This record gives sequence, C-alpha cells and structure tokens, in this order.
Amino acid sequence: MFLRLVADSFTRRPRRKVLTAAALSLGMAVVTAALSVSLDVGDRLASEFRSLGANLLVTPQADSLPLEIGGVDYRPVNAGAYLPEADLPKIKTVFWHNNIIAFAPMLELRAEALPLASQNWIDGVSLIGTWADHTVPLPDGGKFQTGIAKTNPWWQIEGRWFSDDAKECVVGATFAQKRHVKIGDSISLATGRVTRIPSPMKVTGILSSGGPEDESILVPLSSAQSLAGEPGEYRKLYVSALTKPEDDFARRDPKTMKADEFERWSCSPYVSSIAYSIKEVLPGTDVRVIRRVAEGEGTVLTRVRALLWMVTFAALLAAALAVGASAAASVIERRTEIGLMKALGAGSGTVGFLLAAEQLVLAFVGGGIGYSLGTLLARLVGQKIFGVAPAPSVLVLVAVLALAAGVTLLGSAIPLRRASRYEPAPILRGE
Amino acid sequence: MAATRSQNRQMFWRIVRRLLGANRTRLFAILLALGAGAAVTAALLNLQIDAKRRITTEFRAFGPNVLVLPKNTSLSDSGTLPETIAHSVPANLPSGRVVVTSHLYFVAAVSAPESGKSLAAVVAGTSPLVFINVSPLPAPPRAGRECVVGAKVARQLNAQQTAQISLTIGDRRETCQIASFLELGGPEDDRVEIDLGAAQRLANLSGRISSLELIVPGKPSEIQTYITALQRELPDADVRPIRQFTDAQARIYGRISGVLNFTIGTVLVLTALCVMAAMTNVAMERRNDVGLMKAIGGATRRVLRLFLAEAALLGLAGGLIGAAAGIVLSIWLGKQVFGVAAQPRLIVYPVAVALTIIVAILSAYPLRRLASIRPASVFRGEA
Repeated sequence: MFLRLVADSFTRRPRRKVLTAAALSLGMAVVTAALSVSLDVGDRLASEFRSLGANLLVTPQADSLPLEIGGVDYRPVNAGAYLPEADLPKIKTVFWHNNIIAFAPMLELRAEALPLASQNWIDGVSLIGTWADHTVPLPDGGKFQTGIAKTNPWWQIEGRWFSDDAKECVVGATFAQKRHVKIGDSISLATGRVTRIPSPMKVTGILSSGGPEDESILVPLSSAQSLAGEPGEYRKLYVSALTKPEDDFARRDPKTMKADEFERWSCSPYVSSIAYSIKEVLPGTDVRVIRRVAEGEGTVLTRVRALLWMVTFAALLAAALAVGASAAASVIERRTEIGLMKALGAGSGTVGFLLAAEQLVLAFVGGGIGYSLGTLLARLVGQKIFGVAPAPSVLVLVAVLALAAGVTLLGSAIPLRRASRYEPAPILRGE
Repeated sequence: MAATRSQNRQMFWRIVRRLLGANRTRLFAILLALGAGAAVTAALLNLQIDAKRRITTEFRAFGPNVLVLPKNTSLSDSGTLPETIAHSVPANLPSGRVVVTSHLYFVAAVSAPESGKSLAAVVAGTSPLVFINVSPLPAPPRAGRECVVGAKVARQLNAQQTAQISLTIGDRRETCQIASFLELGGPEDDRVEIDLGAAQRLANLSGRISSLELIVPGKPSEIQTYITALQRELPDADVRPIRQFTDAQARIYGRISGVLNFTIGTVLVLTALCVMAAMTNVAMERRNDVGLMKAIGGATRRVLRLFLAEAALLGLAGGLIGAAAGIVLSIWLGKQVFGVAAQPRLIVYPVAVALTIIVAILSAYPLRRLASIRPASVFRGEA
C-alpha cells in the first residue's frame, strides 16, 4: 500500500514532479561540475606551473664558489668540480620518478668562435653544452625523452634545436645579431690556440631566452665536453618536478624527524623531499631547491585552490538553498492531501514517512541526472581550458547523491513539521 | 474616470499585497530561493573582479619580473647606469606599486677574520637591503655596516651570524657584520649583499649601478605596456622582461581566469535555472487563484499583470536581501583566501538585484499558460 501511494503520487501529477526533479538536477549539476573542476584543477595547474621551468638545481658538492654576474660565470674553466653524466639515468629510479618531468645537464665554458662570415676568432664567447632533446636509456630498460626545451619552456627558438649527436649548434639572438650569424651558417669553436682548427658546426636555430643565453652559443653536451677536455662530465643539472605546495611540515629538517614522520614526509611529493631523494641517488651532489620558483608556485597554487573551493562552496550553498526551497514548496502545496490522509486515520509519522520517501526518490533521480549533466559540463570546462577532461569520480557521485538527499529532506522537514500539526477538518473545508 | 483608475490601482496593489501575504511559509520559501540566487550572484561577481586582481598581486611571490640593464653590455665590459635612473621609474600603477631595487655587482675578495678563510665572491650592492633575521636571538642593532651572506658563501667561509667579514678590492676595504643568511637556490646563494653606498665606495663607482630589478604587478598585458613605456622613458638603458616569469605568469593567469570565468558563468546560469525551476513550481499552484479571478471577470492581461507585479516585487525583495548577504559573504570569503577582505564593488549590488528581478519575472512566465485555462474546469477540480 505504501509503495502504491508513492507510485501513485508520481503518476498522478507528473508535471509537478518533473519540475521539482528538474530543479534538483540543475542544482546537483552545478554541484557536480564545480566539485569535479575543483578536485581536478590543482593537478592541472601544478603541471601548468612547470612552464616556470626547473625548480631543482643539482651542483657538485665540492664545487668552488661560482662567480656569476648577470648569468655569466667568471670562474676559469679549470676551477670547480664536475659530475658524471653516466649517473643521470638514476634520477628516474627515485621514488618520485613519475613526478620528475624533465632534467637537463649543463656544462658552461668560455671558448673562441669563428663564424663563417668573419675572418677573426672571437675570444671569450660563452658556450653552453646541454641536451636539446635527448633520449636517456633507463636502468629498467625504458627510455626517457628530456632536455633543455622541456626544463626551460620559455626559451623560444627560431629554426630548430640541434641534434645531440650531430655537429650542430644554436646561437643566442643577441650574438647572432651582433656577429651577423644566420640559420644555415657554420661556426668553428675552439678552446685555446692549439685547438684552433676549423671544424664547422652548422647553426640550426636562433635562441631568444630574454636572459644571458642570448649572448651564448649552445652546443650538444658531448661537443662541449670534448672542447672542455672533460669527457662524460657536466657541471649543473636542472630538474623540473611536479610538487605539492610546501606547508610547515614540509619545511622541517628531515634529520630531526621521527621515523614515522620521516616516512610521511618522504611519501609526499614536496619539493624538499624530491630534492632529498635525488641527493641519495646522485652521490657527491648538492641538490638545491630554486626557492623563487618553488615558493612562488606554492603560494599562487594554494591561493587559487582556495579560491576555487570558495566558488564551489558558493555553488553548493546556492544549489542547496534552491533545491531546499523547491522541496519545501512541493510539500506546502499538498496540504489538502495531507489533511485527507490524516482524516482517514493516518498518523503524522506515516504521512511524514510517505512524503520523505517520495522526496528521496526524487532526490536520487534528480541527483543522478544532475551528476551526469554536471560531469558532462565539467568535461567541457576541462577540455576547453586545460585540454584535458577531469576523470569522473565516484566520490563526487556519492557526495552529490548524499547532498541531494540531505537537502531535499531538510527542505521538506520544516513544512512537514507544520503539516503534522494540521487539523484535517479546516484544510478539507478549504480554509 | 480618474477616480476609477486610482481605485483600480488601489485594488491592484491590494490584491498583490494579499497574494504575497496569503501564505507566509510559501513566501519564505520563494524569498529563500531568490535570495540564495542573488547572494551567490553578488558574491561571485564581486569575487570575480577582485580575485583576478589579487592573483596578479600573488605573482609578486616570484620576485622581480623586469630588469633594467645598461645598453650594449658585453662580457668584457659590464657597463653601469647612473643611480638616479631609479627615480625615473614610474612607481604607481593602477594594479599596485612597482617595487624597485638597485644593484651593483662586482667580484671582491671576501675574508672572515674569525675563521681565517678567504675567497673571491660576487658582491652585490643592494638598495634597499632587506634583512631576514634567521637566528633566534634578537637582531643586532643596525649600524649601516651589515650584510646578507649567501648560504654557500657562508658555508665556505665557515662564518656564523653576527661575525665580521671584510671585503677588499685592491687597497679599498669595507667591513661588515653578517645580519642574515640567504638560501634561495639561485645565484643569490653565492653572493654577499651589502649596502649600495658601501659597494660603490668599494668598487670606486660612486653613483653607478649595474641593474634595476622591478617587481611589476598586473595582468600580462599591463606588464607589457609598462615595459614598452619604460623603455621609451629610459632610452639609454635596456628594459627587458625576465621571460621565465613573465611568460609563465601570462600562461597561468590565462588558465586561472579561464577557470574562474567558466565556473562562475556556469554557476550563475545554472543558479538562475535552479531558481526558475523552484519558482515555476510555486507559480503552477496558482491555478485556483487565476481561475477565481477569471470567473469574477478579470481580464487575462490584468490577471497576468498581477502575477508579474507579484514576481517583480518578490525578485526585488529577494535580490535586495540576497545581494547584500552575498557581498558580505564575498568579503568574508575573500578574507579567508587572500587574508585581505575583498573590496566590495558597488556596481555589483544593482546588477545582482536586477538579475534577480529578471529571473523572478521569467519564472512567472509559465503563468501565461494559465491564461488559457477555463475557470469552470479548475473549480470542478479537473485538469
């Protein structure tokens, strides 16, 4: 009988029910879309922040003090320590290897250059040896594609990067302009008078970085190593890693942590714990967090996340109130029916139970439709803004259904309480 | 004639009053739905304006984004600029204040008498010099002879905080006390920062600087305009953005404002639909009233006008209350997120109220369908 009454109420006034369900689904669609987007946006933005470039810098521990002014190191070539290139694949074996997006070793030196167009060797040209787009064979048999183009995405290149195994180079924009070097020209490089043998390298691109690199020549790491007489060595390694914004816990010194705290710390992708794990696989190095990048990223990310949660919260609030109001209205209009049921001997409890069951059915149907609508909307937003749609999450579905049920019940509770006090007679008389 | 019209008008408002007051619970439910919609609209509109501006100020955390360098510097000759150039940098922008610091870089011999160590390091004369007190002890009194030492330099010098260090170039010599250490993971870690005046004496370059570093707040397009304007103002210098930060900021700003616009846009549209659905539900039960009015001779247009007036009044009331609540809400939320209360924009209030009224009137629109009902069938309880 109970089920029949509920079913009857739906078939008797389908329009009314459809309207209430529509309000519910729309409200829940807002909630779903807002929730999905805010759950997803943190990760998306974190990878967006990698356009800032590397956030970790690896240098030899035993290095002498760099004398760097305006990005140019004034140390003599033979000063300072080097690190072995052969160790680099180990970086992708650390616990957080999936968070390490890219890395690029660098070897800077002072050299002499002879552009094809000019007759004289130019002294004191800054030469940067690095990987442009390098395939690193990993210890587990896989391959990893990385290089300076990934760690420094703001570098704009006209033409193309050099191939790592060819006699090619890329010239900084200022240098190219000053020395009239064009793409397709060739340049000979040397260090010291003895090596001044013309061995032309083809210019494949012009780099504009907005920094000191604009005055340099970039060559494959192996060429720089042979020019410097340091085969298989590099001096600086830039690492770009996806991280979690640091909190107070992250800033603590790992040496002072207890075992369980240390475990929790090293199991969170904080920039400092990634630095720590890189230091463990690359012995003799000093892994520094580039604070300017890491902290700026942390601050902005935390703020944006909070902002989006706020918008989500506002959306939740609005949807809840609108749905609650709609539920309340649908109970109010049924005064006559409630009066009749009570006149026929139904107790307040039974009436309340019946109406609550109806509302719950509505909530689940509306919530379900709202969830699918909202997921669709979230996909659209994600696709449009980040190019990646957020994955539908069961968590959101559960949250949405729970919210729909809670809000409709709460919305009907107040008028139901009033209804339970109704005297059937005056209502039925239409007073 | 005039008397009849005024009487009609009186009657009109009286009916509207009665319609509103007939059922308090229903009135409350409608006002709640409309008010909630208005509150969210006002809060989001207010935030949307405020949040974007705030995000650009948050980019300050990345530090300087524009450099002013001497023109035609080369590796052999690092030129200098006159110190007074800092005064010709416009400091006030609509998006906030530009932070300007002057720097003079050179290499000097740094020695720490306490540990007896000595090395060559880059010295940066900085104005204004900022100290961060890292020791738990209270900061020592400042005598103008203090310096900030990069962590790497300090490690190699084996120097402690408050230790004296001396800087020498040829026969010129300056001593200073270590006020704090700097560990930023950048070239700052390899430097000693001292007061600009002392640095100029040491390098024998009085009144000269190597570069200006600016933190320019604002949207990416505003920063670009600023750079162009500054370059025109300083023809002898080279003004360039630090592309690592300006490019990333532009990208990230684009994404964030995209997310905000889209989310807020959808939330607003769906909130309106939500409120409309709730309101329509309420309006549908007015069948009896419409039937009665038509039965006693009300013209369809007049009946419709009555209900539209009611809806507009409800929208006005809900909007006035809701929008005010929404602005208060956004102020509070702004405080939670950015630590600073969001500045209420007065323009948001009338806009939110107007939107609410429009939504309320649109929600009453299905009543038009009621105009075609036949009073008799309503009373017989049909349809």
